[in-house]
Amino acid sequence: MEQARESAAPGEAILSVAGLRREFGGVWACTDATFDLRRGAITSLIGPNGAGKSTVVGIVGGAIAPSAGRIVFDGTDITAMPPHRRARAGLVRTYQLSSEFGRLTVLENLLVAAPGQRGERIRTLLYGKRYWRKQEVELLDQARILLDRFAMGHKEDEYAGNLSGGQKRLLEIMRALMCQPKLLLLDEPMAGVNPTLAQAIEGYLADLAAEGLTMLLVEHELGLVERLSESVIVMAQGEVIATGSMPDLRRRPEVLNAYLAG
Amino acid sequence: MSTAFSFYLTTLLVYLGVDILAVWSLNLQYGVTGIYNFAWIMFQAVGAYTAGVLTLGPDTGNGGFQQYILGVRLPEPLPVLLAGVVAGALALVVGIVALRRLRTDYQAMVMLVISVIALLVVENVTGLFNGPAGLALIPQPYGSLPLSTLGYQWFYVALTAATCLIVYLFVHRVTSSPLGRALRATRDNEDAAQALGKDVVRLRLFIFVMGGAIAGISGGVLILFIGAWSPGSWAYVETLVVLTAIIVGGTGNNFGVMLGALLVPVAFNEATRFIPQFGRPGLVDALQWIVIGALALVFLWFWPRGIVPERRRRFPGGPLVAPAEMTDPSEVT
Repeated sequence: MEQARESAAPGEAILSVAGLRREFGGVWACTDATFDLRRGAITSLIGPNGAGKSTVVGIVGGAIAPSAGRIVFDGTDITAMPPHRRARAGLVRTYQLSSEFGRLTVLENLLVAAPGQRGERIRTLLYGKRYWRKQEVELLDQARILLDRFAMGHKEDEYAGNLSGGQKRLLEIMRALMCQPKLLLLDEPMAGVNPTLAQAIEGYLADLAAEGLTMLLVEHELGLVERLSESVIVMAQGEVIATGSMPDLRRRPEVLNAYLAG
Repeated sequence: MSTAFSFYLTTLLVYLGVDILAVWSLNLQYGVTGIYNFAWIMFQAVGAYTAGVLTLGPDTGNGGFQQYILGVRLPEPLPVLLAGVVAGALALVVGIVALRRLRTDYQAMVMLVISVIALLVVENVTGLFNGPAGLALIPQPYGSLPLSTLGYQWFYVALTAATCLIVYLFVHRVTSSPLGRALRATRDNEDAAQALGKDVVRLRLFIFVMGGAIAGISGGVLILFIGAWSPGSWAYVETLVVLTAIIVGGTGNNFGVMLGALLVPVAFNEATRFIPQFGRPGLVDALQWIVIGALALVFLWFWPRGIVPERRRRFPGGPLVAPAEMTDPSEVT
């Protein structure tokens, strides 16, 4: 995980989004989203409901095709790249609604997310288990270290579909980490989570940031946003209306208006 | 064992083998990967027709009463292998059309429609596979072996068993590998699998072609045993029998679906043979379809995982930390 993040110096932009637009049946969900994400930092994306945050995450992740605009990730134009290739390039997202693989165990959910698995190649069917066993053992170690870190080790054999809502949120993050992201898009990782667990998740995210992982955090709780991120992007009605630090943004009239009006 | 009973038993065993191939094939597609292939029977039929016309020889034989394409006489086991190849190729074409852009429920509808269209085409384009009359008088493979009639029956049982064994080794490699895990992830949440770098379309197409090829092989094994094949053998409802076998046996479990193959198409169909006819002629046969449908419904309602559910994969080593030492904030939800 670590070496992948060091491919360029911290501070420069890992993701540049320019002029993103997207229409859904005559409704503009996103009219102009332009922003840069700096490497090695948590940037938050905030805005009232319907501001277009999830649309932006969807477009950046590749699930939604933009009507116009350009996305450059890690030096490559990825605007037309399918979602699975973006993930392989290191751009990994989580979902606002839990998206666990319900009939796989927790451990399998993590293992399946690892990139570049020999055992997923069609060649595996010729060579059999000896072709992938060694890598599988390594992945197993990685996955268990991750489970341990998120205090979920005792759940490794549980079906992911049987987890509580909060545990599913943790699984979502662990699974994304297993995918070795250079940039992690977190779409409301604390949605529907009790305060104790939210605090724990906040701690995990802070640790990951300290280790140098770049993240884009979509979040409603502004206190949390202020604690975790230096840089904040504010969206309202499909547009990016302001960027800056949270204390700075709190004083800006257009931000206050958007929140009060929204 | 009386000779008559031996015949009955060997015939049943071959049918069982064919049905086991069938459930493994559809289970790869539906149970493991979540593709609602309601056109499954079409792939078995294409395999059967292929093996048929590649065994029959030119259609001028037998007084030229049958019309079909491609008539050649290939040596065994080529007709069965090519049955797999042709069915796999058809699956590739169908898959490219139906699996790339459509979501599951639409896929199911498209498949059903394709199955019905294929049946109508084969019935009406009589030059293809002899129309509604179908192919008949297909010579026995390995017919030159010095075997008694009953000996040949047992020989064919052995052939079928060998085919099942080879196919099982393949199916097991798929389902027990990380490839199978990726397929199951795709089944459980397509978007999430994609967001983690899985090429969902490629995975689906691959397994659709493999399942199609196995379906074709099952058709080849069947037609060369019974010596005939016609549109009556592959009405779209036949797919539902295989699907019911999978649901009853245990979706996603290779052994479970084998049990389903034994219980539903073999045991259940044979049991109804012994029910005395009552009511209008054909009533019992019609009721059989109703009961198969009801069986699927009852299982989906009360035992959706089937008799032998999908196996939970455990990994050697166990958790790093004992549960007692855990402080788990997630438990407070």
